[in-house]
Amino acid sequence: MNLVLQTLVSTLVQGSMLALITIGMSLVYGTLRVLNMAQGVMVMVGGVAAWTFVSGTGLSPWLGMIVAVIVAALLGMLSYGVGISRLIGRAGVDFEMTAFISTFAIASIVQNLVQLIYGPRQKDFPVLVPGRIQLTEGVSITWQQILTAAIAIAALSLLGLFLTRSRYGLAIVAVAQNLDAARLMGIPARRAYVLTMGLAAGLAGLAGVLLAPVYFVSPGMGDLPMLQALIVAIFAGLGSTRGTIIAAYIIGFVQAAVSIFWSSTYAMPVLYALIVVVLIVRPFGIAGKPQEARL
Amino acid sequence: MLELTDVVAGYGSTTIVQGISLEVAQGECSVLVGPNGHGKTTLLRAISGLIRARSGRIVFDGSDITREKAEKLVERGLIHMPQGDLVFPDMTVEENLLLGAFPRAAAKRAKQRIDEVYQIFPRLLERRTQRARTLSGGERRMLAIGRGLMGDAKMIMIDEPSLGLAPVIVDEVYRQLRSIVESGMTVLLVEESVTRAQSLADSMHLVENGEIVRSSKGSELLDKQAIRATYLGVSE
Repeated sequence: MNLVLQTLVSTLVQGSMLALITIGMSLVYGTLRVLNMAQGVMVMVGGVAAWTFVSGTGLSPWLGMIVAVIVAALLGMLSYGVGISRLIGRAGVDFEMTAFISTFAIASIVQNLVQLIYGPRQKDFPVLVPGRIQLTEGVSITWQQILTAAIAIAALSLLGLFLTRSRYGLAIVAVAQNLDAARLMGIPARRAYVLTMGLAAGLAGLAGVLLAPVYFVSPGMGDLPMLQALIVAIFAGLGSTRGTIIAAYIIGFVQAAVSIFWSSTYAMPVLYALIVVVLIVRPFGIAGKPQEARL
Repeated sequence: MLELTDVVAGYGSTTIVQGISLEVAQGECSVLVGPNGHGKTTLLRAISGLIRARSGRIVFDGSDITREKAEKLVERGLIHMPQGDLVFPDMTVEENLLLGAFPRAAAKRAKQRIDEVYQIFPRLLERRTQRARTLSGGERRMLAIGRGLMGDAKMIMIDEPSLGLAPVIVDEVYRQLRSIVESGMTVLLVEESVTRAQSLADSMHLVENGEIVRSSKGSELLDKQAIRATYLGVSE
């Protein structure tokens, strides 16, 4: 019973986290058709920005969280301007593939710059709320975990409201659903792209702050989240936001269940096996649709 | 309202529109007819800025728009309703319509406009909370046209409103188009079905191999001989 409860708690925390990181990749793929390999690095940038702010000013890590989101979002928009926007509509360029490689380059440059400036050492980041609560005999959950799940879910809900209620949110969705029709409605596609890249990076930055007390802050702290996000994105079907959230919790559950009932050593191999099966049975994921190239 | 001078356009290394000149006066319904694959759609895409014209000049409402971006043209009031059903499939009918009023100036009048659109297309009112992908082909076409009317349109360009629809639905769509034309809207219509188009047209232009080969105005319109020659390859 305890093990089951522990698995569920772990699923909630891990799933929310995965959803927070991967939703940005889905948004970017949905609107731009770019598989954004810089998403993990934005997680790291969020962690590093928050650490720099908190250790530099001595102010609250909550403020650090806001700083992290802003820094990551700005960097996301900058990387669109430098690495992606110039590739759009170029004759003779396979946009999807070139932009995909471009995001790799962005990730590599940012990661190495951070390593150059901060060094490879892992840095401590304070938990936002200390302590834990006992659920039953033998099962407890830290406030940090509760907070992580709560903030992730709140951010995802706000994102949902933004995408369905606001002018620019609807513009992003419109561009994702039909680019030509959106342009013919007077929707500025490029502005939607910049905004999407900023949002995606900002959400990743938020995830970075939430992960920082658990994984420590280091130039490589985004590598594992990137890998997991990629698995979730493929499982979900690229570009589907609803599918991403469902997939994040399924992957979170599998990871938790394997770790708790078997061994954490096997969590990643089992996920890889699962992905291979998904790719064979449903290559466009649980919620994705086969799509054509576009830009 | 719209004046084209020697417009050339195409994709990649293929030139499709081979120099078209055309004038559409205010309040007029001008129709481009001709078989598929002869450049009518490409011409509309070049006018609305989805692709760049290779050469030539496009003037709309007194200003040169040859190099203007698609989204800016919408603000100027030139609305392109593209071929097929370019609606947003996973949004509701109402959300689709509201996006038609995306430019800020149009957004202010969206509430009033949407009532006008529902008046022209009562079926859209019945379906307003349904996702666009669940609509029938005819309803989707109506949605695409209605959405175009949500902006501050001075002129609308409609690409093959009858394509792929059952004749009885086409009749309905054409009745609605007639009420739009009769309201004084300037219209450039692309249509394959000549007889349908004739019922609305103030002027007709036959497009063949990317050029206008024949134009006519008023009641005479295009003579059957020329049309038959173009569609069937029968010489006169």
